[in-house]
Amino acid sequence: MPAQIAKNPPLSSATLHILLALAGGNLHGYGIIKEVARNSDGHYRLGPGTLYDNLKKLIDSGLVADVPTTTSTRRATATKEDDRRFFTLTREGKDVLAREVDRLQGVVTKARARLQEARTGRA
Amino acid sequence: MNRAVSRLAYRLILRLHPSTFRHEFASEMLWIFDQEQQPGAAAHLFLDGTVSLLRQRFRSQNGHGQLSIASGVMITGPGIGPLRFFQAALALSLLWFGLMFLKLPNPLNASVRWADRMPCYTVTLQAPSHAEVVLQSAP
Repeated sequence: MPAQIAKNPPLSSATLHILLALAGGNLHGYGIIKEVARNSDGHYRLGPGTLYDNLKKLIDSGLVADVPTTTSTRRATATKEDDRRFFTLTREGKDVLAREVDRLQGVVTKARARLQEARTGRA
Repeated sequence: MNRAVSRLAYRLILRLHPSTFRHEFASEMLWIFDQEQQPGAAAHLFLDGTVSLLRQRFRSQNGHGQLSIASGVMITGPGIGPLRFFQAALALSLLWFGLMFLKLPNPLNASVRWADRMPCYTVTLQAPSHAEVVLQSAP
């Protein structure tokens, strides 16, 4: 039985960052690594081993899919990068990401309220 | 730093991965290795490649449910036999030799602790930044 990723939040850090990177468009592995680094201001550095282990689980879970070679979503200009394997977020992947973002939003809201209470309590 | 030697060492790490994972992703991982030219990237890639090797090997032999990874910590469940311990030692040796070739400081603190009740043991690898690998066996 292949390893799969739970489709209900919370997601792991690596999974969340990969899904967020792919939410911006189809990317190959190195593109995902660069996008994750950019989104986290360079604080989260994903290695290829971690990346492909997570991508395999995401594919097995149906949250990410391979982009077929002949698709027009790839660049028209033929470069070496275009020979790479591209990945895309599935509809289910988008739903899972949206649920996770909602969950995180709830955590932030609660955290702000608690901090506000703590500040007013001290004042 | 000799790029050709480090590339060869990284290819060897990829070669030691289970065949299913290797056939699917090794060429992509090697391509990423070729693209990464930043200073210090090679050490990070070696560490990641070695952790990946351990992860895939343990997963392929333990099956699901005995390996969990969270927040950069990898903990295996019961059932690590001498063969897997040897594989871990081999992977570590490769990493250290690679770092020696690259003339990089060793980023890892490694320790092996034997429990009172043999043959239980714990192997801990810890990098100063964030990566930590813990392998534990059950008696």
